[in-house]
Amino acid sequence: MDVTEQLQALKDKYKSVEVEVPVPFEFDLGNLTAFDSNGLDERRIKNETNNYLKDLARDGTQLLLNQIFALPTKSSTDGVFAELPEPTTVLPRAKPLPKPKLQTRWEKFAKAKGIQKRKKGRMVYDEQADDYKPRWGYNRANDNQDDWIIEVPDTADPMEDQYEKRRDEKKERVEKNKKQARRNLEERSAVEAGKNPKEVRKAQLEKAIVESKTSTASLGRFDKKLQNEDVVKIKRSKRKFEATTIDASKEAESAMNIAKKVLKAGDSKVINVSKAVKQVAGQASAEMLGHKGKKRKSK
Amino acid sequence: MLRTAKPRTAKGKRIQLAKEPQLIETTKQALFIRGTTTSQLVSSALKNLYQLKRPDGILFSKRNEVRPFEDPRPLEFFADKNDAAILVVASHSKKRPHNLVIARTFDNQVMDMVELGIEGGVSMEEFKGQKAAIGHRPLLLFHGDAFESHEDLRTVRSLFMDLYRGDATADLVNLSGLEHVISITAVGGTEGNKRIHMRVFTVHLKKSGTKLPRVELEEMGPSIDFVLRRYRLADKETWKMATKVPKQVKEKKEKNIEFDDIGDKFGRVHMGKQDLGKLQTRKMKGLKRAATDDEGDDAGEAVGSGKRQRAEDEE
Repeated sequence: MDVTEQLQALKDKYKSVEVEVPVPFEFDLGNLTAFDSNGLDERRIKNETNNYLKDLARDGTQLLLNQIFALPTKSSTDGVFAELPEPTTVLPRAKPLPKPKLQTRWEKFAKAKGIQKRKKGRMVYDEQADDYKPRWGYNRANDNQDDWIIEVPDTADPMEDQYEKRRDEKKERVEKNKKQARRNLEERSAVEAGKNPKEVRKAQLEKAIVESKTSTASLGRFDKKLQNEDVVKIKRSKRKFEATTIDASKEAESAMNIAKKVLKAGDSKVINVSKAVKQVAGQASAEMLGHKGKKRKSK
Repeated sequence: MLRTAKPRTAKGKRIQLAKEPQLIETTKQALFIRGTTTSQLVSSALKNLYQLKRPDGILFSKRNEVRPFEDPRPLEFFADKNDAAILVVASHSKKRPHNLVIARTFDNQVMDMVELGIEGGVSMEEFKGQKAAIGHRPLLLFHGDAFESHEDLRTVRSLFMDLYRGDATADLVNLSGLEHVISITAVGGTEGNKRIHMRVFTVHLKKSGTKLPRVELEEMGPSIDFVLRRYRLADKETWKMATKVPKQVKEKKEKNIEFDDIGDKFGRVHMGKQDLGKLQTRKMKGLKRAATDDEGDDAGEAVGSGKRQRAEDEE
């Protein structure tokens, strides 16, 4: 027997892996998907739907698997893995792209200077305790707050409480950090609202000045002026008094208005405007959708 | 929108962070919801669709009053609460018997949905034989030219693909894990006569005498015949927003790199202008400058004279 004949015999023993289709399939191997745009056999799909669909699926699966098995592979203890290409079909995301987070002042500075974050271990060696302790928090390492003796520096006032001094310093540091965090937040919210953070801060300060000036009994008239201090004009609404003698009909009308309001409130038919607006808006959107659906159906 | 409170625990914070928009999204979660009334046919279809989607789906055990085409807000609420982007709703009424709605959300708002009526089907339980294991990615097949020519059917295809494609961010797939195939065939027709046939098979790989295996299929179910009813397509703006590719993911084209026909790589490099003044020539002892202070004096004089000149000019 010839070698080619032997090969042919071997081939004949098994069913073929080749499939012939008029229009070649499109593949999106990243999604393990094949698209078959060949026209269907109308007679078969009507009369022998299940068999026809199974035949279609078999041929399609064969073509798809031929493509997948031809991909480069990696093998591990769990089996043989095919390396898939990127998906090509455009499918929508579930959520919009994340908005870039605004940098804090430190992050900006670090970027400008090229300072990179370093991973620090959680536990640090504490020489006094001769043990590893957490870097921060309860029972932290190298905590100078619980030294049992502190040397008083030569330059310091001997009566000063060094413990209190350390406590105060720490409090100040914490306060400073909180202040900076607050400032970062304020700046971020200003930028997100599309405003210049500096302008926002300026407006805040100006408002605070006006408020502080109007907070004294004399509305700031006897306050000590600083050198070159800007004169802040304080706008106050003037009190208005009704004329003592007015048209009787006008007076009656205003009285009636008040009476109507009170009576209506008792009638419990007063409309909660904000709630009503929400309801109407909701109905409108639902109606719109229903309308759309109907239109399509009548086509 | 659900009201979002500031998380009080670290765990709560992690959960909230996971719900925030991600740069690279993984598998979309799906909800399978029963409406107020359902038939045996449609609820078993819903259950089977859920079984195919496991473990990335949630099948609601209670009935809910949802009518997606009349008011999508309850759906949007469920989508937001469960962080799911695909919703499958089963219902049954005189007007629309054995009804299944597949809806997809973007940013927790319903973007597009299709309503499929079930005309006939055989559930997964009625097929004997081995079923595919949970969590394996199915192969997907879409047959029929109608998918290309009809916009509504294209949406159907897109929705089914989104539902069952699994984790598309995975770049490896276990060849022995390709256990089942979902075949979806569209038959075009006039409005109200567009049919979609869904069949699911397990794959058996046989020897073929070549490197590639011979594929044989065995039906594992469900087998469902749908007819397309109402639909709502995505509006262009939303679709555009939803298909935006993040800058960080987009591949940057490498400049000045070319490949010739053989596959050799050629690069063009810009060298910048060479400064010949700083050229390092051969060092010789004899050419070294004798004293440095000499040089300093020279420089000082030069600067001084310059200053003097400028002062004179000003006068």
